[in-house]
Amino acid sequence: MSSITAPAPTLDEPLDLAYLEGETGMVERPRRRLLPFDPWHLFLAPLAFVMLLPLVWMVVTSLQTRAQTLHFPPILWPGTPQFVNYLDVIRDSAFGTWFWNTTVVTVLVVASNLVLCTLAAYGFARIRFLGRGFIYFVLLATLMVPLQVVLIPTFLIVKQLGLLDHLGALVVPNLANVFGIFMLTQFFRTLPIDLEEAARIDGASRLSILLRIVVPLSLPALATLAVIQFLWTWNDFLWPLVTILTNQGAFTLQLGLATFQGAHQTQWHLVAAANIMSMVPLIVLFLIAQRYFVRGIATQGLKG
Amino acid sequence: MSAAAQDVGTVTRFRRFLVSDHVAGWAFILPSVILIVLFGIVPIVWGLILSFQRAGLISPEREWVGFENYARIASDPKARQAAINTIYYTILFVPISIMLALFVAHALNRKIALIRFYRLAVFIPVVTSTIATGIMFLWLFDKNFGLANWLLGKVGLGPFGFFEDPNQAMLALVMMTVWGWLGFDTIIYLAALQGVPNELVEAAAIDGASRWTTFWRVTWPMLGPATLLLVVWSTISALQLFDEVFFVTHGGPLGRTSVVVFYVYRLAFEQGLGALSLAGYAAAIAYVLFLVILILTLAQFWLGRRVVHYSS
Amino acid sequence: MAGVTFDAVTKVYPGRVVAVRELSLGVGDGEFLILVGPSGCGKSTALRMVAGLERISEGTISIGGRVVNDVPPKDRDIAMVFQNYALYPHMTVEKNLAFGLRQRKTRPDEVRRMVDEISRMLGLEDLLRRRPGQLSGGQRQRVAMGRALVREPEVFLLDEPLSNLDAKLRVQMRAQLKRLHERVGVTTIYVTHDQVEAITLGERIAVLSDGVLQQVGPPQDVYDHPANVFVAGFIGSPPMNLLEGTASDGRVAVGEVELDRVRAPDGPVLIGIRPEGLRPVGSDDAGVTFEVGVDLVEPLGDEVLVHGSIEGLDGRVRTPGADDGLLAEADGSGSTVTIRLPPEERPPAGSRLRVGVAPNAVRLFDPATGLAIDAT
Repeated sequence: MSSITAPAPTLDEPLDLAYLEGETGMVERPRRRLLPFDPWHLFLAPLAFVMLLPLVWMVVTSLQTRAQTLHFPPILWPGTPQFVNYLDVIRDSAFGTWFWNTTVVTVLVVASNLVLCTLAAYGFARIRFLGRGFIYFVLLATLMVPLQVVLIPTFLIVKQLGLLDHLGALVVPNLANVFGIFMLTQFFRTLPIDLEEAARIDGASRLSILLRIVVPLSLPALATLAVIQFLWTWNDFLWPLVTILTNQGAFTLQLGLATFQGAHQTQWHLVAAANIMSMVPLIVLFLIAQRYFVRGIATQGLKG
Repeated sequence: MSAAAQDVGTVTRFRRFLVSDHVAGWAFILPSVILIVLFGIVPIVWGLILSFQRAGLISPEREWVGFENYARIASDPKARQAAINTIYYTILFVPISIMLALFVAHALNRKIALIRFYRLAVFIPVVTSTIATGIMFLWLFDKNFGLANWLLGKVGLGPFGFFEDPNQAMLALVMMTVWGWLGFDTIIYLAALQGVPNELVEAAAIDGASRWTTFWRVTWPMLGPATLLLVVWSTISALQLFDEVFFVTHGGPLGRTSVVVFYVYRLAFEQGLGALSLAGYAAAIAYVLFLVILILTLAQFWLGRRVVHYSS
Repeated sequence: MAGVTFDAVTKVYPGRVVAVRELSLGVGDGEFLILVGPSGCGKSTALRMVAGLERISEGTISIGGRVVNDVPPKDRDIAMVFQNYALYPHMTVEKNLAFGLRQRKTRPDEVRRMVDEISRMLGLEDLLRRRPGQLSGGQRQRVAMGRALVREPEVFLLDEPLSNLDAKLRVQMRAQLKRLHERVGVTTIYVTHDQVEAITLGERIAVLSDGVLQQVGPPQDVYDHPANVFVAGFIGSPPMNLLEGTASDGRVAVGEVELDRVRAPDGPVLIGIRPEGLRPVGSDDAGVTFEVGVDLVEPLGDEVLVHGSIEGLDGRVRTPGADDGLLAEADGSGSTVTIRLPPEERPPAGSRLRVGVAPNAVRLFDPATGLAIDAT
């Protein structure tokens, strides 16, 4: 891959992470054909079925009437799709509020991470300053510490800051994610330093080099970070559960969905509709930005 | 300007330049560092302190009790149960999800018709949240109206209680989480498989290796790093299972799915928010889990380095 | 025993890309044949078809008289050295060498013997316990060759094996390869894009362009008598000078200058003269001469390359493959010829040089087809 126009996130190997389209690593062996199609379909098709079944079944359920859902054997097709279920969910619950809250929190967290992680990563990658190595090491060490260890103390800190029961509790602790700093630092190090040195000679300030040269070259990595952070924040459950206690107005989508299911336990047609609505944004994002999801995960993997 | 004055000017400028780099560096990292110190490092330290205290979440009680919390873990039957459940889950989840992912990645690593669709089908569950997945499986595994029992009935099996049966609940959780994580593991293996240079496979073919031998003696060793990573990652995730347990089974039935993090949560946030001052005890349990994870991870890496060959 | 025969072999990729077009070529038993051509000309594809790594779209390939189109690589008794060596990174050198033998269920003592023999022949004895990652480029290359040779194959295939080495090492390895072939004598097909390598190494060379075989023959023959304009320009560095001329009444002229002892059918004609075919002559020489204004002199140590423009020939010199913007004219054709001289005859830049054409140095080509025309 050309290192200027399409930088790979972190690796030295010639991987095509765009959508893992690459070569198969197989050698064609002449073989008699027993079936009119490749035999691997016999494994892959059922696999795809199993992977998609829960989603598809949820969609079907969301379009049925209550009576149809509580029928056994299950009715596989609703006949007339009950889109009204979706409206009922929005009307009879605070779904709109939950959705809005989650959107606000996610956008803020993603935006903040993009800015702060970029700045920090550039500092670690390109500027020599006192304590750089030590601080970087300490930050990375925090990645090793699992969530449940910091859960209670962070709760107490947030409580001290008066953010408990507010959206602030969800945003402020996540404004800068160490993983993002780590990922971008690795990435910036792979960019050829010549460009930046040329700009320094031309008299540009560090910040302006970052904004005008490094960032434009890093768009794929930034997109990957944005997508991964979006996924984490949108789907986060434990932290909202712990910090949003009584203020229903600050519920996120996951929290709201969980309580909705608890409150409407046998109304599967409604629960399904709520569930589908909560998943749609991420699925759409995935379909649009597949390569960034895939790249993000593969990077997490190969650099771990 | 005299020569001496010029020298001083140069030295000052040089010093200023050095300082500016240090200042610049710190300026760039400072906002993030402040946040991470406040919400990452301080909690880590504070958590340790808490574990040596009898502390409440709402009440301001803070009484120093030394190792009493840690000792209590040993005699707490619920803690023991949580530990057993967690180990049981981990032993099932890690090998199954990884081996399945390897096979699926191998299957997806070819150019046949519909491959993009197949890949999509495998990857999409990655974006579903734990709650969304929980709802989907609660519905699928519903004892009375779920699709699973209907399909199994068609081949003469069941009906199963799944999440409601104390003996099956954990297995059902394993199935659900394997479904949710398969895409992630597969992506990593797929990327690793495609990192195996085609020439190596060709050379093996010319050398006379069968497909199985080629996979086992050439491809598989090169997947070492990815496998190690997945084992470590999966183990850490498995030991920290929470969302699914909280939402789907809430530790039941009969406490058979209560895992360590869930127990910690209950102690601190369900009972602790009542009047009981259990935050310290909960913190102690959390720290023990952390220690277990740390030791296990180091052991896995140490073992891994000896077995895995990194190609230069 | 084991010659290789291509019979009208064609390879088409999906998307109707024709990589190799009706290649017919015979490689004799024990012969060292080189497939040479620019990138994308199909030489690697042809090689891989012999190896069985690519399916053959049309035609047949035979090894030792047996058609192998549907025979898997391991049953073809061939061995291959890849451009990037393809050594198994997690195995020691010894295991790398032994791998193929073990796959064929060779007895362990036989394996031991053959590995020892090969490592002695290639100087690998001290490296047997190391892993490829710990070896230098040259060492890896030798291990790759060892792995191929240890199985005593009928056909030995090499895909640009020297292109990852630095220049000096490349020259050394070329000599070693030649010696190796003389000693082992196995049928060898060698692919390279470097025409110098081709000429120095091969017993015969086959020039390919765009999937089509241009010419095959001993290196000197191909050099002296290129079959078409492409081969004339590709083989030999710097490339052959090509001048546009006309033939009428059987006489061939370039601009005002008429060439003697050369005949061609009427019409436009391309005149090819290698840089060493232009020799400086005295100003009163009566033979066919050109006035050359010296533009640039390149000293190469053992010779000197003179680039100059011929009086009155603006736009008539067509140097094949000349994308050198500094010397070519804007419309692609130029007026610069290249002359090769011994260093003591080096002319000053800006001077005028009178050159004559050495006897039998002229090659004629038909501008329309590019094919060579018999000059006498």
